[in-house]
Amino acid sequence: MTYDPASLDASFAALQGFDWGRDAAALQPIDAAVIAAHGNEAARGDLERRLAALLGGGTSRAAKEYVCRKLSLIGTASAVPPLAALLPDKEHSHMARFALERIAATEAAAALRQALGEVQGDLKIGMISSLAARGDAASVPLLAALLAGESRTAVAAAEALGRIGTPEAAQALAAAAGVDRTVASAIADARLACAEARLRQGQRQEALATYKAIADAAASGTDQAAKLVRLAATRGMLACLDAPASS
Amino acid sequence: MRSRTSSILFAVACMACAGRHATFAAEPARQDAVQMTVDLLGNDDAEFRQIAIDRVRTGVRGEEATRRFTDLLPSLAPERQTELVAALTDRGDRTAAPALLALLDSSADEAIRAVTIRGLAALGGAADVAILVRSLAAGDAERTAARRGLVVIGADAGPAILASAKVAEPDLRAALLEILAERRERAALPDLAAAAVDDAPIVRAAAMRSLARMGGPDQVAAMMKGLLKAAAGTERDEAERALITICTQSPEREDAALEFLEQFRSADEASRDALVPTLGRLGGEGALAIVDTLVANPDAVQRRLGLTALVRWPDATVSQRLLDLLSKAQDPAEREMLLSALIRIAPLPDNKLNDKQKLSLLQKTMTLCQRDADRRRVLERANAIRTVDTLRFVEPYLDDPTLAESACLSVVELAHHRTLRDANKDEFTKALDKVVTTTKNPELVERAERYKQGQTWERKKPAAKS
Repeated sequence: MTYDPASLDASFAALQGFDWGRDAAALQPIDAAVIAAHGNEAARGDLERRLAALLGGGTSRAAKEYVCRKLSLIGTASAVPPLAALLPDKEHSHMARFALERIAATEAAAALRQALGEVQGDLKIGMISSLAARGDAASVPLLAALLAGESRTAVAAAEALGRIGTPEAAQALAAAAGVDRTVASAIADARLACAEARLRQGQRQEALATYKAIADAAASGTDQAAKLVRLAATRGMLACLDAPASS
Repeated sequence: MRSRTSSILFAVACMACAGRHATFAAEPARQDAVQMTVDLLGNDDAEFRQIAIDRVRTGVRGEEATRRFTDLLPSLAPERQTELVAALTDRGDRTAAPALLALLDSSADEAIRAVTIRGLAALGGAADVAILVRSLAAGDAERTAARRGLVVIGADAGPAILASAKVAEPDLRAALLEILAERRERAALPDLAAAAVDDAPIVRAAAMRSLARMGGPDQVAAMMKGLLKAAAGTERDEAERALITICTQSPEREDAALEFLEQFRSADEASRDALVPTLGRLGGEGALAIVDTLVANPDAVQRRLGLTALVRWPDATVSQRLLDLLSKAQDPAEREMLLSALIRIAPLPDNKLNDKQKLSLLQKTMTLCQRDADRRRVLERANAIRTVDTLRFVEPYLDDPTLAESACLSVVELAHHRTLRDANKDEFTKALDKVVTTTKNPELVERAERYKQGQTWERKKPAAKS
């Protein structure tokens, strides 16, 4: 795939009217331009601006998805506002999150956090998932607040906190009770994930304390789920005590 | 179980609290890990115990930890002893060996003894050979573990096993010889060679099998003596197979075959006569020269020896000789030998002939048959040559009432191979139709019908021997 600047305008024109079923070969110059823009800030900025401009009205869902994929590669803070505008839209929210998960700028995370408070249902779970994928520590208070809410959202929030894995996330999980068994189970799994993160980072003392707290919390349970948590915590405690390095 | 687990967790809580604000010290933590593992090994819940078993296997390293674990052995229930010994074996710390020895002394439980023997073999060395050798006389599980253990025990154990073999009773000696071969103990080759002519048949047989696994040209002479000493029947057949293995499959097979011929030529007459059948099974140009001389000998006994060798030839290089001899043979017994040899070698997969030549040889053999029984054998052997030309050769015999059943069998066997059948569908359909109307064998009818419809047929497994 070679980059041909002369054909780029034609390719953008094709993208303007692109839809599923059309020949995607017409878009190859844009693909090549994205690759060629690596290390060339001016070219990247120009591409980003032209792509972001297509996220408004007048383009198909297919074209917007294509743009989101490209912006996930070259997008910066400049691309965040048009992407964020798509987050409440059921048709485009997923691909907008796809891009925002991957754009390194802190504005991208901020946009996801803002949308988290504005959308509901599946879209909210999507925001939670994207914040977890970014490992966004700043979203911990927002996610913690969701642990006491509706079950599906609470499970997603617990899993996200487990993936973020910071001490603050672990504390939020420890403080949560879980509105039902499913949420409680997700919280226990997430707490184990936080402890494993501590252990991986060499923070054995903190990991051990977390595992111990998890085991204590599960000690009163008589069901298989509680036993599995105790088993995992016990295994974790031994791993902490027997790890080769100390911190 | 809960109370036990809780006590473990309490202990860990104390450890965690005590060091919360201090640097996490590696050595105290390791000691805590050992203690926690020890406590978990006493847990009644198998899943909690398994965590500790995994840790014994791959974690909390160090001899002191190993000793803490082995100290538990005497107080554990038998099934838990078995678990722990297996884990200590995988742990690979020789510090555990004395505890395993003590357990072996104190336990009559066969499962424990077997797993302990495995552990001793994995962790021990030459000093433990005597114990493992003693276990070769024990019950099945312990014996199997000891046998395997003697194969895998450290490299320094070879001389000790060899020394044990020298003074053991025949049954045990035989087992040890085979263990030495499995260990590839080349230092044992002289002893194996000597054992090939032992007075005990079981030792001779073990020695020959062992030499077949690791011997070479230097052992051929001894193996020939072993073959000559072997009792007729199974022992002799197996001894011959061992010798042929060295001469045809070992890394130095060409030198071994030359050595066999040299030893054969220098042997006394009685030995040579006894070795001629083996010479035939060996094959090759050197052997053929000797056999040709024997076949041409006017002495009937010598000629008979030569023919005996010729009909055992491993490939079709002697096919023309066999055809020539068969065309001139008058003696019925001689004819039978030669005919059988031709029928046997023609379709051999590795007989240096292509399919066309194989079929041609069988067709020539057919013309030399004088009895229907022999013609039937030719027809049935033909199905090993899986070509449409074979079908064309066999099909006309479907009309011969005396040969039809054999022809039916071969047509069906050829049709069994889908690739061949599908590539020549019309011819096979016609032949299978004929089989259906000709054979009196219901199984052949069923198979023919299935093949015509493109279906498969599963060959019935022979009934298991009671």
